[in-house]
Amino acid sequence: MPKVIVDNKLTKVPNGTLVVEAAKRVGIEIPVFCYHPKLQPVGMCRMCLVEVGTPKRGKDGQIEKDAQGNDAIAWMPKLQAACTTVVSDGMVIRTDTNQVADARRGILEFLLTSHPLDCPVCDKGGECPLQNLTMAFGPGQSRFPAESKFHNEKRVPLGDLIMLDRERCIQCSRCIRFQDEIADDHVLGFNARGRGLEIVSLSNPAFDSKYSGNTIDICPVGALTSRDFRLSARVWEVKDYPSVCAHCSVGCNILIGERDHEIKRIVPRENSAVNEIWTCDKGRFAHHFAFAPDRLTTPLIRRNGKLEVGSWNDALNLVAQKFAEAKSDVGGLGGDRAANEDLFLFQKLFRETLGSNNVGHRVGWSASNAGAELVRVYGAGVGTILGALDKSVTALVLGADPEEEQPVIRLRLTRSARAFGATIITANPRVTKLAMHAKQSIVYNYGTEAYFLLGVIRVILDERLEVRDFVDTRVTNLDAFKKSLDPFTVERCAQIAHVKPEKIRDAARTIAQSPNLLILFGREAMASMQNDDAVASSIAALLLITGHIGRANNGVVALYPHNNSHGALDFDLTSKNKSASRAMYVMACDPASDGDFIKPDFLVVQDLFLTETAQIADVVLPAQSFAERDGTFTNTERRVQLFRAALKPVGASKPDWWIVSEIAKRLGAKWNYQNASQVMDEIATTVPQYAGISYTALAENVKMPRAPYGQGNPSDEPTDIAMGDLENVSSGMQWASVAERDGAMKFELTWSEPSQQSSVNSQQYRLAVARSLYDRGTLISKTAIIQPRVPAPYIEINSLDAEELGIADGARVRVLFDARVIEVNARVDGHVPPSVVLMPNNLDGTAALPMGARVKIEKV
Amino acid sequence: MEHLILRDLDIENLKDISVYEKHGGYGAFRKAVKELTPDQVTDAVKASGLRGRGGAGFPAGVKWSFLPKGVFPRYLVVNADESEPGTFKDRQIMERNAHQVIEGIAIASYAIQCNHAFIYIRGEFPYAADCLERAIVEAEQRGYLGANIFETNYQLQITVHRGAGAYICGEETALLESMEGKLGQPRVKPPFPASVGLYNKPTVINNVETLANVPAIIERGAEWYAKIGTPKSTGPKVFCLSGHVNRPGNYEAAFGSISFRDLIYDLGGGIRGNKKLKAILPAGASGPMVSPLVNPEVLDVKLDYEALAPFGSTLGSASVIVMDEDTCIVWAAKKMTHFFKNESCGKCTPCREGTYWLLKMLERIDDGVGTSADIDLLTNVATQIQGRTLCPLGDFATSPVMGSVKLFRDEYERHIQEHGCWARGK
Repeated sequence: MPKVIVDNKLTKVPNGTLVVEAAKRVGIEIPVFCYHPKLQPVGMCRMCLVEVGTPKRGKDGQIEKDAQGNDAIAWMPKLQAACTTVVSDGMVIRTDTNQVADARRGILEFLLTSHPLDCPVCDKGGECPLQNLTMAFGPGQSRFPAESKFHNEKRVPLGDLIMLDRERCIQCSRCIRFQDEIADDHVLGFNARGRGLEIVSLSNPAFDSKYSGNTIDICPVGALTSRDFRLSARVWEVKDYPSVCAHCSVGCNILIGERDHEIKRIVPRENSAVNEIWTCDKGRFAHHFAFAPDRLTTPLIRRNGKLEVGSWNDALNLVAQKFAEAKSDVGGLGGDRAANEDLFLFQKLFRETLGSNNVGHRVGWSASNAGAELVRVYGAGVGTILGALDKSVTALVLGADPEEEQPVIRLRLTRSARAFGATIITANPRVTKLAMHAKQSIVYNYGTEAYFLLGVIRVILDERLEVRDFVDTRVTNLDAFKKSLDPFTVERCAQIAHVKPEKIRDAARTIAQSPNLLILFGREAMASMQNDDAVASSIAALLLITGHIGRANNGVVALYPHNNSHGALDFDLTSKNKSASRAMYVMACDPASDGDFIKPDFLVVQDLFLTETAQIADVVLPAQSFAERDGTFTNTERRVQLFRAALKPVGASKPDWWIVSEIAKRLGAKWNYQNASQVMDEIATTVPQYAGISYTALAENVKMPRAPYGQGNPSDEPTDIAMGDLENVSSGMQWASVAERDGAMKFELTWSEPSQQSSVNSQQYRLAVARSLYDRGTLISKTAIIQPRVPAPYIEINSLDAEELGIADGARVRVLFDARVIEVNARVDGHVPPSVVLMPNNLDGTAALPMGARVKIEKV
Repeated sequence: MEHLILRDLDIENLKDISVYEKHGGYGAFRKAVKELTPDQVTDAVKASGLRGRGGAGFPAGVKWSFLPKGVFPRYLVVNADESEPGTFKDRQIMERNAHQVIEGIAIASYAIQCNHAFIYIRGEFPYAADCLERAIVEAEQRGYLGANIFETNYQLQITVHRGAGAYICGEETALLESMEGKLGQPRVKPPFPASVGLYNKPTVINNVETLANVPAIIERGAEWYAKIGTPKSTGPKVFCLSGHVNRPGNYEAAFGSISFRDLIYDLGGGIRGNKKLKAILPAGASGPMVSPLVNPEVLDVKLDYEALAPFGSTLGSASVIVMDEDTCIVWAAKKMTHFFKNESCGKCTPCREGTYWLLKMLERIDDGVGTSADIDLLTNVATQIQGRTLCPLGDFATSPVMGSVKLFRDEYERHIQEHGCWARGK
């Protein structure tokens, strides 16, 4: 490790460290604008110029000594950019000299010559690196006459969500580099040159990226501002509360910026284990639901056929009375957006108080809980960081489209592959964005994921690539498993899956040779042809024969759809709800909007809004959003994360856990929960995985500082670009899987025969059901500026099929189901294989599409 | 004297391949490929002392030997983006002696074992580009380019790439960016192009005139070549003479063989209208001006790469612009600064903002609304740019101001006192 001296302070840093990072190690912050630890250095702004010297060597190669006997230093004639200079052994750096101070003053004076200095009306004012560095290092007065100023456009909509002020821009290219290097959406660029150099969007629609909001955070000036937050508050008037994003299952750590009891903005909170310093645009912008004007504010009770305002006491008494009358014919349906505390008490109400096991969830996955069981036993080891998987890790991503369903996980897997050398293998019935960074991308026939997996297993066993020691000592039932596998030759699996046998062999060898293996599976792997048991047992078998369980960077991750799908599954809310006919309790979901809901005699709905289900309910109970209360969500990596109340309650709304608890009390239960924290204490003693988790423990790890505060840089995280290591600090607590908890446990290989999938005839297409990040759901529909990003309903079709049907890209088509016809636009883009068509099921009029259905397509 | 570079002046229709062949054309390339190893070719060019004619004067053979061993493919990129104000030597060489350029490229490519060379040519040179493309086709037809050259395994392809009109693309890393289809902005160095160049592969970038010297070195030997010129600046140099002279044009002379007096009064036929010589820009707009009014001895130094250092200037690519006594120096500095302000790529702060500010001040002074403080501010702002930019263009951009204020401060003061330019009327 090279030794370097920064302002007389000696430190040792890893090879390849940049001067700016070496200085940080001894507590010296070199001012920067264009440099960002997450991005490649470019040396553009010249703010970080420092004096750099190296040991002076004589002709014999020996270091010369000065008069005092110290190593003589050969100083470089010019100042060097600390952000692009890599340290070498013996390097001496001076940041505190007059020459350096003069350079900094000069650069700031230059930057301000073209800057409009409109800080009093700029959103960035108060948290602006240009402002802060000018105060710290700049000249008090400029010698540049105001009338000579270069003027440029001040309100340029760079996209639907971002406003660009070209006058404030200092051309640091952080936004461009974020899009190129991190988001992998190459949609921004520079145009023109010299003083006219300007940021432009290169895409149509403009700034077409799901991560655009992050450029606001990393912009070191007020050039990029949020079209949502813009001019609505000064940053010092906004109070930040630590929270967790309530949209998808990634669980990005966020800060809710509150003022006047409204959310003014959401910014990412740094958590290197979950979201680094990023979040997606849905998480950042789609928060208006929390204080939407049509939120439910009081309980409603149906009287004479109409829902009328009632008191909490009347409503709760009525619910308790009806539940008691219904006896065993009562059912519950809990949404996977509710917090752990809500879901835990919800199932407890049914199981303990009502004595009914008829309690289900709406995770939106297939009928069985095979995936949840898989995660409980073989879940990826604690310490797995999806954004920092190195070259020892292979990640098999099966039947998932994280770009649409877990955007920040897609971003982080891409980064692992690109920056740290992880191997990604995607296996999908279609091409997804992640496939672009995959070493191998496998497209299998729709519904044949189990055959693909069996093919891989077969190759490993045939070629004797299994990890012998592990299999011999920890795995049972291998012989019987092999026997069942006998008819499944690689060729047969390949034929059924429509994958070349060589591709299966390549994937199998990569997997077998990898020191670490993660399998991330998504909705499309588990929601197809009633094959989920076969898929789950195959995933387990693949992990077991290769010994990839029970430690970090090994095991499975289920890519669930919602913020607390995991919690819903952890509390054993099976999705097989036999709908009750006497009474039903629906919490935080809207089954009626999916069309297959039969109203029981008595229906109580607990929600934020008067949903379709609530409209037919007998009692409607107003719940609180995640922003008004404390709670925990368990993210898709089994990480339990705490969120705190940021807003005053809307109207008379109450937290879900409180409402459930009040109903239970009225049914005679001796419940006495004062707050959500007490509920978690009980979860910790009741649900084995949650042992040891408490609000006290979770709060200890909550990092308050906003990720890109102050200097516009992540707080004090060492740069992974230069250092290759990430801080292993997380907020939140990940529960250990069974395999991790018992290092000697034996595991049985189980066989589940995959079913043959029915064929489609030549006039039919197999329907793949996807999800769009921006959907027609309630949570997003309240945010007006994001609406243009929500796609119109569409169907993706292979170009060969489209040609045969005479359908052009963008053409209107009719999709014919057995008993339903939907008219949508066609997208002909080659992402789906022939005979497969794809439709998102969360756009206008596309709810409840049957996965894998056979459909016909007609030109309109 | 025999021309070695501007041979078109001695030989009619040299641009035709048959004429070029008749005068020994492609013999040097044949000799290199058939008789010499690549390293021997590089060693010969090293021994010849040939230095880069693009302005920096870096030894060409040494540059070739910097390529990391065993990394392929590697590229030769020819810098034909001749954009320095007052430079027009490469244009003449390409238009009238294209085969010598192609042969030089071929020999250099062989020396560095490159199989695909690119010529990045200034977009405003369509005719020169056509000439090169024609020469490439002719050379391919004769088997000098393509596969199995001279019945060996060596193969070479040359592609002409036209620029889109940016001065900065003459800077080698901006040139590479532009060739790759990106915005023409310089890269951070290191890594240097020798290790990470075009398409991230080892790359040598040479100027047109530099490569035009190579065939003669191989044909007649390094020893013969090294005797031309001075020990440190070997070989012939094409001087581009322009401005207020009677016979502007390209003049070839050995380094150390002529002075400004020879060039301007002898070859160039003297100052237009027998006016007095006021100042000389030895390296176009990029080098500080010199003046015989201030340093009379500057007229008589024999010109080579180092000769102008005592006068605070440089020979650069020898684009000599002559200004007579009627020239307003403030106007000239403004004009050149305007050029740099327009051509700054904008990537780094000091150059982007500094050139804009310098121009604003010069406009003020030239318009007669400057103050005496403006002169010191002018040099101060220029100093604030110097040494702090990402690429050399920032330093170049300060030359008009620094050079002119140093030599003609009185003229700036007179503009301020008289509220405008006496020479051009206020």
